Amino acid sequence: MGHRICLIVMMLMSVGVCAQDQLLKNATLVSGAKGQGVIRDVHIVAGRIAAIGEDLKVDRGTDVLDLAGALVTPGFIDSATTIGLAEVSGLGISQDAEVSDVNLAAGFQVALALNDASLLIPVASNDGITRGVIVPQPGDSNFAGQSALVRFQREGTFAVTGALAQHVYLRERDRRYGGGSRASVLASVLHALEESARFDQRREDYDRRKVRAFDLPAADLIALSAVRQGKVPLVAHVDRAADIEQLIQAMAAYPKIRLVLAGAAEAWKVADKLAERDIPVLINVMDNLPGSFDRLGARLDQAALLDAAGIRFAFMSESPFTEFRSLSQAAGVAVAYGLPWDKALAAITRWPAEIWGLEGLGAIAVGSIADLVVWSGDPLEVVSTPTAVMIDGAWISLSTRQGLLAERYRDLLKLK
Amino acid sequence: MRKITVIALVVLALLIQSGVNADYPSTYVAADHDPFVIDQVMIDRGLGQGAFRGWVKVENGLIAAVEREDVPRPKGIRQINAEDQWLTPGIIDVHSHLGDYPSPSYRAHSDGNEATSPVTAEVWAEHSVWPQDPQFPLALAGGVTTLQILPGSANLFGGRSVVLKNVWARTVQGMKFPGAPYGLKMACGENPKRVYGSKSRSPSTRMGNFAGYRKAWIDAQEYQKKWRAYEKSLSDYEVWEAASDGQDYKTRPSPPKRDLKMETLVGVLDGEILVHNHCYRADEMAQIIDLSREFGYQVTAFHHAVEAYKIGDLLAANKTCSAMWADWWQFKLESFDGIKENVAMVEAAGACAIVHSDSATGIQRLNQEAAKALAAGQRLGLAMSPSTALTWITRNAAQALGVLSRTGTIEVGKMADLVLWSAQPLSVYARADSVFIDGVLQWDRKTGVGPVTDFELGQREEIF
Repeated sequence: MGHRICLIVMMLMSVGVCAQDQLLKNATLVSGAKGQGVIRDVHIVAGRIAAIGEDLKVDRGTDVLDLAGALVTPGFIDSATTIGLAEVSGLGISQDAEVSDVNLAAGFQVALALNDASLLIPVASNDGITRGVIVPQPGDSNFAGQSALVRFQREGTFAVTGALAQHVYLRERDRRYGGGSRASVLASVLHALEESARFDQRREDYDRRKVRAFDLPAADLIALSAVRQGKVPLVAHVDRAADIEQLIQAMAAYPKIRLVLAGAAEAWKVADKLAERDIPVLINVMDNLPGSFDRLGARLDQAALLDAAGIRFAFMSESPFTEFRSLSQAAGVAVAYGLPWDKALAAITRWPAEIWGLEGLGAIAVGSIADLVVWSGDPLEVVSTPTAVMIDGAWISLSTRQGLLAERYRDLLKLK
Repeated sequence: MRKITVIALVVLALLIQSGVNADYPSTYVAADHDPFVIDQVMIDRGLGQGAFRGWVKVENGLIAAVEREDVPRPKGIRQINAEDQWLTPGIIDVHSHLGDYPSPSYRAHSDGNEATSPVTAEVWAEHSVWPQDPQFPLALAGGVTTLQILPGSANLFGGRSVVLKNVWARTVQGMKFPGAPYGLKMACGENPKRVYGSKSRSPSTRMGNFAGYRKAWIDAQEYQKKWRAYEKSLSDYEVWEAASDGQDYKTRPSPPKRDLKMETLVGVLDGEILVHNHCYRADEMAQIIDLSREFGYQVTAFHHAVEAYKIGDLLAANKTCSAMWADWWQFKLESFDGIKENVAMVEAAGACAIVHSDSATGIQRLNQEAAKALAAGQRLGLAMSPSTALTWITRNAAQALGVLSRTGTIEVGKMADLVLWSAQPLSVYARADSVFIDGVLQWDRKTGVGPVTDFELGQREEIF
């Protein structure tokens, strides 16, 4: 359809936003542990990578861009953020990340609350992040609801997947939602799963109003049913080693559940159990404070330790609600603390794609979705920056309101 | 022993010179160490003048020599070959709450905000600091040798700050930077008006904030007058007493009752206590500068200063520093205009720029935060070097704390507060390999030298 629309949009935005066929010449692609590169041409057709090779030839209608050896990585994937749920996180009134005082918990979908015009979206893509998992926060229940997968561009579709995973919060401060003790919290989580199993068995009776009400609303039970059947991962935000062990034991009754740990400050202490069951971990690399008695084992080299134990992991910023605002910086810090460079890159590209089940993302390969970032230098260095970002085969605008402010005052004060 | 005496004399001289209140005095005395030379190292002195390969001699806790590599080394003292490393001044964080908001984070020892009245200039942050906070060694591993602990920002006047050396000690007095001036924490904007507005008390608006500052300064002026009048009458009395032949009688004047709140404010009016003013918005900072002119004091530094880039000229003219984050924004409405170029734009305007943390995680990598700020400025077309960026966490920070004559740069005669980095210090991959405070090795990654706080003992000692 869109050649005419494409042209109009390009005139308005002064940047191509349409998935035109593209040939990127002389892109340095990462291969090997130290980020050594090989120079290749990348041909993109209809939003996917059609060919990778040397001296590729293309039709006349294809846009050709010579990158002159610039490094190109897959777009980064932030495995937990709240962009689109709050313009100003400290203003309660602009915050849509949690629900309370309603009969809804696991059934809550953040996707329905997202602001696809958020000013924060291009701030993420300016850091080379093309996709993010938007996570719900606990309101007054340990089950917080369903996360969404988004792409960080303000044109076109923002939320790609509305029900990516279910999130349950089991940290020290979350005990209050489930009766006050970790024991009652775990019991209430198991009870909810059992209810969802009964609900599935008696679904027809329920629909015909022949069965008494369940303890949980239907929306929650339907959402938990998807968890129980392994259709979506169950992400447990949990820190203490003992709690992780209890959770693993409790989940043994539900072999289909795809358990993922998030935060998990003390995961390294139970690494053998995680490795045995292939349970992946979402790590906030820089969050190394022993901020509670749950987190006495928090440490900066968690990624290196989990890697040595053969555990899959992905990095998350948990921004903008916290102080950790840069995903690539987190990956760089993980390298400084012992993780091989290629694995740090994998933890924000290939591995989150695997953990979240995102077909075609996180890699530069024939058939992959063309989410690509062109870098000014080593992408894990804090001084590097994307010079161009492509999502689904289209270059996106990197213009931000912040950039406009900087230019306005640079010129007003004649700064050089 | 001789060194202790020297330090004690220096401290005493400083106290007399600056008139700093000598209550709750520092008991910090650096341990003795053998003199040594750090050789073949890339040195950035923190002066913004670039780096060179050379050597540094440390003796009696002080920097004894800084030379380029072609100058012969002194013989007969220990040489540390640091060919692959970089040497910088110890990192200084001008805005920290370590010890007054410690980890683990429980109300039981979260002692940073005396949020019971908008004017609590009488409280001192040092009385809240828990020296066993495990966050101190984490900051040390990031190269931080000196830090200012501030009260929080709930109040218009939050109280006195304290400057610490990042050394393990049993008491906060054992960490206090000898002779450093006190600071006064003030706060603009959303926080005071939110805290007190929610209690239906003044201030509940920004204009209420300003009325509150002005009333307090007027009270301080009155208090200052009362004490000056007393001092005058006392001196008149002493003149009379010395000349008196015992024939007539006069009463010795008695001093006014001490008011701790007013003592701190008068300390500012007398130029002995430095003002550290939490303030986000440019328009409010300009108003605060007018406030300082109305009452005749100097704002040493705006903290957070998210919009400092809008008024770099005004800040330069007023000689006020701005202590900023590299990239924090959006977490509250007054931070909505935060931009990554802020620090570099303040520098380019000729004003004093500082990168601060206000965070127990951020303090562990101020070098990276400075690097991010530098890169953003360079992308905007501002000409500045990595060496300039280093001044944001060393020299300029020392200046804002009033300790630049003692630390903050690598110059002969200054405290040997030094960091040996594994790589160029603005790289994300650089780690502090060794950290010296007053010439004493406090942290060494390879040999495992480093403090273990009492809290960590037996439950976290293996973790750095």
